[in-house]
Amino acid sequence: MEKVLKVENLTKKFKRIVVNKISFEVEKGNVYGLLGPNGSGKSTTFGMLLSTINPTEGKWSWFGEDNTSISTLKKMGAIIEQPNFYPYLSAEKNLQIVAEIKEVSYNRIDEVLKIVGLLERKKDVFRTYSLGMKQRLAIASAMLNKPEVLILDEPTNGLDPEGIIQIREIINEIAKTGTTIIVASHLLDEIEKICSHVIVLKQGTALYSGLVDGMTANKGFFELESDDLEKLKYNLEQMQNFSKISIVGTKIIANIENDISATELNKKLMENGIFLSHLSKKKESLENQFLELVKN
Amino acid sequence: MLRLLKIEWLKNFSYRPFKIFSILYFIILGGLLFIGLVDIQFGEFTLNLKDQGIYDFPALWNFTTYIVAILKIFLGCIIIFSITQEFTNRMFKQNIIDGLSRQEFVISKVFTIVIFSFVSTLIVMIISFILGFLYSKDTSFEMVFREFYFIGNYFLKLFTFFSLLLFLSVLFRNSIFVFLSIFILWMVESIIGGIEYAIRFRSIDGNTIKTIKDSILITNYTPLNAMSKLIPLPVERTELAKILGVKYEYNFPIDSVIACIIYSAIFIFGSYYILKKKDW
Repeated sequence: MEKVLKVENLTKKFKRIVVNKISFEVEKGNVYGLLGPNGSGKSTTFGMLLSTINPTEGKWSWFGEDNTSISTLKKMGAIIEQPNFYPYLSAEKNLQIVAEIKEVSYNRIDEVLKIVGLLERKKDVFRTYSLGMKQRLAIASAMLNKPEVLILDEPTNGLDPEGIIQIREIINEIAKTGTTIIVASHLLDEIEKICSHVIVLKQGTALYSGLVDGMTANKGFFELESDDLEKLKYNLEQMQNFSKISIVGTKIIANIENDISATELNKKLMENGIFLSHLSKKKESLENQFLELVKN
Repeated sequence: MLRLLKIEWLKNFSYRPFKIFSILYFIILGGLLFIGLVDIQFGEFTLNLKDQGIYDFPALWNFTTYIVAILKIFLGCIIIFSITQEFTNRMFKQNIIDGLSRQEFVISKVFTIVIFSFVSTLIVMIISFILGFLYSKDTSFEMVFREFYFIGNYFLKLFTFFSLLLFLSVLFRNSIFVFLSIFILWMVESIIGGIEYAIRFRSIDGNTIKTIKDSILITNYTPLNAMSKLIPLPVERTELAKILGVKYEYNFPIDSVIACIIYSAIFIFGSYYILKKKDW
């Protein structure tokens, strides 16, 4: 796989260490999530990779070229923290400035405005836009140069549910075109829906970097309900398939150690005279996995 | 280069303070040059600057450039507002991310400064020529161009002043602080100038004025003083002064010119250095 970005021991110290020896790699065509609570160093990491913040230590390369050159930046699209535009200029004029900076043709302006649904409002002054529209304009601006890499820092921050869905759909559309996307968010739901890979940050340290599915070696769990919970629990304990069995309210949660299908489990329990009123096999949600990781 | 100019144009043309101050400036600039044509009343006393010889070559260049240089603060406002808004709107950071280098950012701002200084200089020059040929007693080639260098000094004065504003705008990133710092700089320069003056000339009497004129004061080379020395106050050149017997003596201020060029370079490279070193 072609490496788009390679980061080694990236460190930033302001008064305290904000980013601590982060290393990760980004492969072409994947969608990466940079996960972490507020203040975990996501924006600082992006700042360094986008050349707005001078790193204290460490190195990185984009497309095999060390550091972030102007020509690299022109191949990228990025949205940081909040949509930044000249408030007194129209969307069109703002994008003209971006087009001049990135040295791309003005023809793209209408195209990208159409993708994000702002073509009719292009003559309106940026100041008059709603937050959702501002965020969509930011995405339009980032796509102006048909970027090879798209960096999004909290793209759905402060949006209403409808706005969040719109942005997510746009991002999914872009991902389909084979654009490499790195998205930072503290909304796990977002990451789970969009990303294939994930990098988890906590207090400036990378806790995990890899596939979303492999984040914890977790095989999932069963949720069971029956009239006699004690008997059910006893039977499950005899089966050697579970690492932990606990009663939560009216349900039993059984964490899987050796995998077993729901059908098979149901059959076995029935043989022992236990009839279930509820049975479902579940994967640990990303949220739980994340909390598990960050907790330690 | 054309690309940077275009970016600056797009950024500024629809910016309201830019339009308002530009229009105001050029109206007042044009108007002020004709001040010699009106009689100014001080109670009983009437002052007509034309009769005092402000439109006579070669002193004309000194008078006109001195009078309109006061207006540079209008253009200064535009420069302060248009640069600080890049930071308050977080556009500098966004420009960098979009792929504008810090160097290009500074160059584009220097272009703006050069254009402002140049246009202002050009207008002053044209109107001065017109007024001179209309009202000057002597319009011989020698007289017309003898002190034409004031036009060059005027350009340098504006350019140095605007470079200072660029530097302060990048340093403070907030227009209020820039205005305050200019005011403080002016005060500090006046105070230390006064102190140096007092120390150096405390014990001198008799030929004091002559001595002062021949002395080199260190505080003449502080930024604002160096700029103001480029175009001295032309009171000594009025008809009134001639009647009173004040002798006019002035040489081309080569030292101030050099000081201003050095300051401009420091301010521009200083701006670049700040942009490079700071985290955005």
